[in-house]
Amino acid sequence: MKTRILQIALAGGMMTGGLMAVGLPAVVQAQDGGDVVIAQLQAPPSLDPHVTSAQAARNVNLHMYETLYARDENAAPVPDLAQGVEISEDGLTYVFTLREGVNFHDGSQMHADDVVASLNRYREIGASSTLLSAIESVEETGEYEVTVNLSEVQSTFLDNLSSPRAPIAVIPAEQAVMGANEIEFIGTGPFRFVEFQPDSFVRLERFDDYSLNTNYSERDGLAGYKEVFIDSVTFRFITESGSRVAGLETGEIHLLETVDGPSAQRLAENDQYVVYDVLPFAFQVIKFNHAQSPTDDVEFRLAVSAALDMEEIMAISHPDIYEIDGGWLFTNSAFYSDAALDLYNIADLEVARQHLENSSYDGETLTFIVDNGRANVDTATIVQQRLAAIGVTVELSVADWPTVSQIGFTPDGWHFWTHGFGIEPFEGPASVIAPWVDGVSMQADDPEINRLYNALTTEMDADARAAIFAEFQAYMYENAVAIKAGNYGLFQVSTAALENFVPFRIPRMWGVRLNQ
Amino acid sequence: MWSFVLRRLISSIPVLFLVSLMTFGLIWLVPGDPASVFLDASATPEQVANLRRELGLDQPLWTQMLSWYERVLSGDLGQSILLNRSVAAAILERLPITLSLAAIALVLAVILGILLGSLAAVNHGGWGDQSIMTVALLGLSIPDFWLGLVLIVVFAVQLGWLPSGGFVAITEDPGGWAMSMALPAFTLTITQIGFIARMTRSSMLDVLRQDFVRTADAKGLGHGFVVMRHALPNAMMPILTVTGVIAGGLLGGAVVVEQVFALPGVGRLIIGAILSRDFPVIQGGLLMLAVIYLLVNLIVDMLYAVIDPRVRLG
Repeated sequence: MKTRILQIALAGGMMTGGLMAVGLPAVVQAQDGGDVVIAQLQAPPSLDPHVTSAQAARNVNLHMYETLYARDENAAPVPDLAQGVEISEDGLTYVFTLREGVNFHDGSQMHADDVVASLNRYREIGASSTLLSAIESVEETGEYEVTVNLSEVQSTFLDNLSSPRAPIAVIPAEQAVMGANEIEFIGTGPFRFVEFQPDSFVRLERFDDYSLNTNYSERDGLAGYKEVFIDSVTFRFITESGSRVAGLETGEIHLLETVDGPSAQRLAENDQYVVYDVLPFAFQVIKFNHAQSPTDDVEFRLAVSAALDMEEIMAISHPDIYEIDGGWLFTNSAFYSDAALDLYNIADLEVARQHLENSSYDGETLTFIVDNGRANVDTATIVQQRLAAIGVTVELSVADWPTVSQIGFTPDGWHFWTHGFGIEPFEGPASVIAPWVDGVSMQADDPEINRLYNALTTEMDADARAAIFAEFQAYMYENAVAIKAGNYGLFQVSTAALENFVPFRIPRMWGVRLNQ
Repeated sequence: MWSFVLRRLISSIPVLFLVSLMTFGLIWLVPGDPASVFLDASATPEQVANLRRELGLDQPLWTQMLSWYERVLSGDLGQSILLNRSVAAAILERLPITLSLAAIALVLAVILGILLGSLAAVNHGGWGDQSIMTVALLGLSIPDFWLGLVLIVVFAVQLGWLPSGGFVAITEDPGGWAMSMALPAFTLTITQIGFIARMTRSSMLDVLRQDFVRTADAKGLGHGFVVMRHALPNAMMPILTVTGVIAGGLLGGAVVVEQVFALPGVGRLIIGAILSRDFPVIQGGLLMLAVIYLLVNLIVDMLYAVIDPRVRLG
């Protein structure tokens, strides 16, 4: 109490220009419970799980909501709210058996009607509703049984259903009739909603009636045995990186979702903190606008591809935490391929000049759009300098993300665009190909990519799917549809008091303990 | 007096209309909309179009503009796209934080600025004058975000006396509130003291050279009394003008300070709204800031008459 009073006095003293000195005692006592505070850069745009695919929302929502299938530690789809599934021989009918006795946060229990209503809501307003575009109908065929009929075979249906992108969460049927952003935040997850101050924090507390999935014995990706030892978790949104690190050092924050390299290195020298290298977390991708000249010319794109030194790009854009790897999936994926990787990271200006001579480039100034994220600006700058060496003039157009992303999905106003691809390689081969289908990411339809995507999503044999993905990767390199610079990661830092934390796509708070 | 206030309030209406019109024009000139915040980079145009329809952003500009003015005239600033509440509620929830931060900083800056400026004027040309003006210049020159970070490192990280950020409501814990406001208020104060100190010094030097001050000194009154009772009130007009300007500037400064200290105030609300293109919040927030600016100016004009009986409003 004395310390507290003096601290208050200090606050008053500060306001009148006076300064006083009081220290805080440190008490370390291991026990369950406690409020874990996580600092993240951005606030979630919504806590309605269906309507946003923002990473900031996933971090929070996947603590509150669960899906029929979820991704395991290796990103493979495994049952979560479902007990299992039976797939008909023709691949068109999926009969899901639901786990019984699963509680929602409002005290009701999950039944088939909740699942049907949730899936139908997602098909209507889901941020990634194309994930369920193959569904013809969803029926309640028992109290704990849901039958999904597909209009066409989709080998990736369980992948889609378990996508964490904008989770196809199961919510109570009476909530599922609500429009976007109109629901109460009620799920089946191990944490339940307490408070949301949109530009400040979200607080969740342990759901004491959570129905543990006894089909598992331990944490497994976004599925598994989600036992919660802490009382609550608070996600604080702190834009300023220095303030986030300061919060960790003062003990107000227990986990930083991401921190810059120099801070991570400094904190790593102190045994009060644990630094986690989350690598790979995403790709750095450089896109071409195929609707504009000269980036519609394969020879020009090959010239750019041959000119770039990926080591240089990654070492500057993502210092201390990158991998030089050209595969269009992470190396731990079952579908990883080394097809055409001899065309990755050529870094030969002479080869680039030869391609450039054969191209339609005529000395015009090209536009590289890029958002104001430091790594993306660095990448664009390095590409600009490297292309200048072969006589290509590039000007950078830097703006904030909403501006750049709107321009980048139109055929005018840009030739190059770079940003990260994070959730796509995590999700698997279909998600990596999908952005290029119908020319969405390069603004010109490419029938070969469309064909490969259709082949992959209708092929039920895993080996054949791997072969199709290898074909896609080779096509990407041989035509320089886009360029993958490399894999990058992020540093996460926790206090040593946060035990048993294992980084994943989101900072999972089940299974962790807080020494108080 | 009251007819003056009424006239000023009426003349504010076209100003507010122009502010709202410019805000509307600017935010619609800038590309991007809230759909890009909800969706990631791999969203298809179809998904973006669906979401825009859900959010009501597919209406023509003039339709959205007319309906916005219709709502505002009936006292409704609209509904935030991202916050899931009305714009008025979002602003009112955060306004006390920003206003209390600005008010604390203003009071401290005025008291300390006048004190330091007067001391400098009285010691004109001496080491005290030079020192105070150097410190004032330093305060003016330091960027508030940098000063905020330095204060965090010193008082939160190194000494552990104060929280590095966040906000505690005064109704929950007055002590916690004072601690959460200390560093942000101190940051804002330091950067504003210089303005007032310099203006006070300049104005006081003018007044101290005038005959009535010499007469008061000649009568045998103590110099301190002469300065505080006779000189300072006569030097207040320019100080008051600067205070009015600073009051507006503090709202701008609060935007940056709220970001550094993660204070959920109106500044942070508007910055977040701009970055996520939450148009109704941008429009409502800027309109509200314009109203505050106008009110501050009106109050300053009214105070002129209070401080200087020669000024007649009407």
